[in-house]
Amino acid sequence: MTAATAPVTAPRSWRVPSAAGPARLLRLELRRSPMLWLLPLLAAAFYVSTYRPAMDNPPFWNIRSAMLQSHTMLVFAPLLAGVGAWVGSRDGRRGLADLVGVTAVPRWAGRLASWAAATIWAELLYLAGVAVLYGVTAGQGAWGGPLWWPVAVGATTVAASCAVGFAAGERLPGRFTAGLAALVVFLALAGGAFAIQDDATYAQIWPLNVQGPFPSDSYGIFHPYLPDLAIAQVMFLAGLAAAALGALGLPATTGSRWLRAAAAAVTVAGLAAAGTGTALAGTARLEANGMVIPALHDAASDRSAPYTPVCGQDAVPVCLQPAYRAYLTDVTTALGPLLGQLAGLPGAPVRVTQVAVTSVQSSPSNGIGFGPPVIRGRPAVLYLPLSGLTLPGEGSTPAAAFISNLREQYLPEIVNEFVGLPAGTGPNAVNGIGVGTGPGHQAQFTIAGALRLVVKLYLQQPPGGRLPPGAVAARPGGIASQQAAAARRFAAQPPAVRHAWLASHLAALRAGRVTLSEIP
Amino acid sequence: MTAAGVDRPAPELAPARAGGSGGPWRAGGAGRAGLRLAQLHAASRRALTCLLVLVACAAALRTALHWLPHTGVLSRQIPLTIEAGAAAVIGVTTRSPFGEPERATGRWLPWLRLALPVTLAGAAVGALAAGSASAQLAYGSVGLLRDVAGFTGVALLAAAVLGGALSWIGPIAYLGVTLPALSGNWATPWIWPARPPHDRGAAICAALVFAAGVAVITVRGARDSTRE
Repeated sequence: MTAATAPVTAPRSWRVPSAAGPARLLRLELRRSPMLWLLPLLAAAFYVSTYRPAMDNPPFWNIRSAMLQSHTMLVFAPLLAGVGAWVGSRDGRRGLADLVGVTAVPRWAGRLASWAAATIWAELLYLAGVAVLYGVTAGQGAWGGPLWWPVAVGATTVAASCAVGFAAGERLPGRFTAGLAALVVFLALAGGAFAIQDDATYAQIWPLNVQGPFPSDSYGIFHPYLPDLAIAQVMFLAGLAAAALGALGLPATTGSRWLRAAAAAVTVAGLAAAGTGTALAGTARLEANGMVIPALHDAASDRSAPYTPVCGQDAVPVCLQPAYRAYLTDVTTALGPLLGQLAGLPGAPVRVTQVAVTSVQSSPSNGIGFGPPVIRGRPAVLYLPLSGLTLPGEGSTPAAAFISNLREQYLPEIVNEFVGLPAGTGPNAVNGIGVGTGPGHQAQFTIAGALRLVVKLYLQQPPGGRLPPGAVAARPGGIASQQAAAARRFAAQPPAVRHAWLASHLAALRAGRVTLSEIP
Repeated sequence: MTAAGVDRPAPELAPARAGGSGGPWRAGGAGRAGLRLAQLHAASRRALTCLLVLVACAAALRTALHWLPHTGVLSRQIPLTIEAGAAAVIGVTTRSPFGEPERATGRWLPWLRLALPVTLAGAAVGALAAGSASAQLAYGSVGLLRDVAGFTGVALLAAAVLGGALSWIGPIAYLGVTLPALSGNWATPWIWPARPPHDRGAAICAALVFAAGVAVITVRGARDSTRE
């Protein structure tokens, strides 16, 4: 047989099936990705930045979920962008760009495989960290279930950080690129924090922003977690990643015309998604349960989450959401003395019920203000918010500090509410007694001050003690001195006398028809 | 290109050789040769690019200080980030393009490895101090000196462990751990950026890390990796 008669067969060994080539390349990249070497460092960073602070907080799903977005990403995003840039600049650093440009697999697909390998390792580590933290939280008996939207934002941030860094490395290969990419991402995150504090309109899109100015313990318990902002953030981050990766396929050397057209479409779609997410975040507004974006809001999220409250056995029972079961004794200890004084009086609360918030209002510099406890309904119920308070076990806060804070922060407001002072009236105290602005208010302030004296709540100056810095001393003979004297006199009355007087005069007191001279 | 010209001296060496009867060592003296050696070492480490980045960092700091509040966590976060970036860039300059063969070239290499990062760290402090002049930098120049020195030490130690090209991971990771501490009440001096500028323990820790980083880089150099 000669060569002339040999059967002609089509060469096939170099032909790579369209899907198998990138898949095999991905397996190779997964084995050789520098991200593998960074995993121990990322794990240590996760422990220091997220796990340890999380364990310093009580086991609430909302607190720990928020950390998985804000704390973790503050460390992960710059590092991943840097490593992404390192991976992306590999061919350029080694002078292999021309060589790999003529391989069977299109260059864009090859570059995507490199990015995907690095991203897969980073995502696996992040999700492993999430699993550990959520597993420990579940083991600690947290009420409810884990929140997944902050995890979704975190996972998308991981992919976007790798993509942005990768694109930077691909375009500008060099020894400084990786470090500078990490630095730029850090500066972008810091700049976002600055913008959100400056109340910039679109700054809510900042990936470390969980629920705007809401403290992490104030959402996701009484109502379902509002995903509006998270959806916008995922859109923005996914769009950013798509735009960065799509841009890699635009140069003429990266593949066929169709492939470049697809890359262009991906880039445009990514930019559109990022822009849409940012625009939606600009419409976010503060509501009682979290940040609401009207275009994304699901009214079903506004329904209360069902639960059976945990109640104490006192005469005026304190009922808390089951997530706060561990604090029932502390809350009862803080409120008990005052509730005992008020028990049986007309309009006095017959029960204390914990609520998420009574009202919220935004304040400058991305601040938030929560309304005080309120007494509403017939029979009257004291609605008590605990959001924003430092709970026992948070950091190094002991139970005694929580009880003290709760007393000092809420008891004056409850007393003011009870005697009919306008909401938000501060103690405005002179010698521990509020100064009334009119005859009716003078009596209300005086009784409020007397009740504070009875429960030993000295906001400004204990009897016989020193005035705190900046406090105004009562002028002898002035109205403040008269109020202070009346309050001390009333507080010194036997409990039965106080109770009887309040029972008969409370309605008039609230209406502002009682004068100082009528107080026994 | 052919091999015809490979035995010719490099253009920059030609005048030195031509100018004297015995080459640069006799003609210019050891000082001139040492200067030339330092120049070549700096060029191989991309020191000029590093200096340009440091100038950019100073400009960024100046711009940031114009907008930043004078108090609060943000007044520390962004300057610290820029300081960490400057240190990361200094760490990257420790990477040698020659790898192990360079270690057999003579006894001056450790001195060159000592001089370059120290000089660049000084340049970083100077540039950032100039950038923050006439603006209110939280923790002032003392804090700046301490933080840049500490970050540079972390970068140099990372260069010894991970290699010069990946040394940026050290200061960036340390910064990531530090930033939450700014709003907390961490008392350990090893998180020196979260401590007041006149905290002696924090200053000692930063100085120790800087000294350790410089010592390791001087003696061992950055880790060489054949895979880069």
